[in-house]
Amino acid sequence: MKHPSPILLKGVGVSYNLRMKRKRSLRRSVTHRSRIDEKGHFWALRNIDLEVTDGEVLAVVGGNGAGKSTLLSTLAGIITPDAGSIAVYGSIATLLHVGAGFDDELNAEENILLVGALLGVPASIMRKKVPEILEFADIGDFAKTEVRTYSSGMRARLGFAVATSVEPDVLLVDEVLSTGDASFRDKARNRILALMKKARAVVYVTHDLASAKEFCTRAIELEAGQIIADGPARKVINAYEKKMRARKSAPRPALRRRARKG
Amino acid sequence: MRTASLRLTVGRPRRGPIGTIAETVRSVYQRRRLLLYLTIARVRQDGSNSLIGNLWLIIDPAVQLAIYYFLVGVVLNRPQANFPLFLFAAILPWRWFTTAIGSATESVRRRDKVMRQIAFPQIVLPLSAVAASTTSFFFGLIPLFSLYLVYPERLTIWVTALPIVIFVQLLWTIPLAILFSALNVFFSDTGNFVRHGLRIGFYLSPALFSFERIQELLAPHPPAHLLLELNPMAWILTAYRDLLYEGRAADWTALLVVALASLPFTFASIYAFRRMAPTFVKVL
Repeated sequence: MKHPSPILLKGVGVSYNLRMKRKRSLRRSVTHRSRIDEKGHFWALRNIDLEVTDGEVLAVVGGNGAGKSTLLSTLAGIITPDAGSIAVYGSIATLLHVGAGFDDELNAEENILLVGALLGVPASIMRKKVPEILEFADIGDFAKTEVRTYSSGMRARLGFAVATSVEPDVLLVDEVLSTGDASFRDKARNRILALMKKARAVVYVTHDLASAKEFCTRAIELEAGQIIADGPARKVINAYEKKMRARKSAPRPALRRRARKG
Repeated sequence: MRTASLRLTVGRPRRGPIGTIAETVRSVYQRRRLLLYLTIARVRQDGSNSLIGNLWLIIDPAVQLAIYYFLVGVVLNRPQANFPLFLFAAILPWRWFTTAIGSATESVRRRDKVMRQIAFPQIVLPLSAVAASTTSFFFGLIPLFSLYLVYPERLTIWVTALPIVIFVQLLWTIPLAILFSALNVFFSDTGNFVRHGLRIGFYLSPALFSFERIQELLAPHPPAHLLLELNPMAWILTAYRDLLYEGRAADWTALLVVALASLPFTFASIYAFRRMAPTFVKVL
């Protein structure tokens, strides 16, 4: 039997009912009029066909509000699509915002178990990982203190260490490389790269185009909830960068001058 | 990681209500540890940042008892033998009921950040709120049983039947907690409705007076009287009082009816929650 691809999306669409989400409806209805259908639904993603095969590291690029994060949430199972079908084979881990799921009243060790439980990792496995996570996060004597007393750096390091302690088949990464100080950032980067190598498929959402070019094998560009470019990472990202530069400089010549200098 | 190994969201044959409920119950069972950790966090939160910490779990109900004792026993002068015990036997479970429903209502909304980051069965959130208030209810039993030091003659073998009544109350607390927590995501004023509803429920329950006395008082007002009869908590509180104060068997038939009546509610609330859950992240 043929091994199925780790990620397979067919005609996936995600819509938001703007009447329910009152907060941003006004702004969005002005700026994204074309993405709102006659029923008043805003389509954050529309008609996404995507297959990620074994060993691929996929970068997702696109401007703000293009649907990158929605795509990642959909893959993670946080948002259910309103159209199309999605199949993810294997275990999934999401490195979305670091430190999600922490509870201020619990100490480091308990939080590790809590996040593990949220992710669905069996407690026996998670408990074995505790010493290693604590060591990586480098929070020293604070392991037994409630997380609410932590500095933001400690919190971020612990969050990162927990999130990356799992070894998933499918890894979803959303801008997590910028955690902590410079020395930790190197450590974090190496750890993510190691995880990426082990995973069967990686989806990486970032604005850091240089790093995306470096370790992604393929890239897609999203615009207004649709895939508008798909191909080898270098090619797609170069084209995207060019387009962004052109867009930035075209209406305002002053910016172009500065860009050339820098 | 054991999360979702295969998902086909659309095009999958839709599960019927029974399938959905079974799946939800199974997912909660699988995440029972999560339930445990969330409960610990919540219990601790109630006691943290305070001088005497979790001692409040015992002091709070005791102070409330003192207030009602003064109000009803002294100011309104309702003579009732061994009044503190009479009062506490009903006030304590009612307090459990209101804190459980109140904190469950906010439970899903409060965890919006996590829900946006991690996919997990969100129904554990209201359940952990119920579990946490159940824990503080058990602590409240300490001052309750201390009252038997003052009225030792009231302590009978019927106290051992307490777990049955507690169980029946849970059967009613859980569906309400689940339902309100989901509704509160869509309508943030659910909390206000719930608060007022509970307040009305309090006066339609035999908390400050005996069931007979309330029935007597409400007899000239048929709608209120009907509400009293339909209020499951009225029967449950009376059962507590029978066991703890009167020292006699509760009305087991009534209690069984109350318990059975909760079941369709429970199933409906789990199903409704599960159907609403996919939109939570989009709305919050």
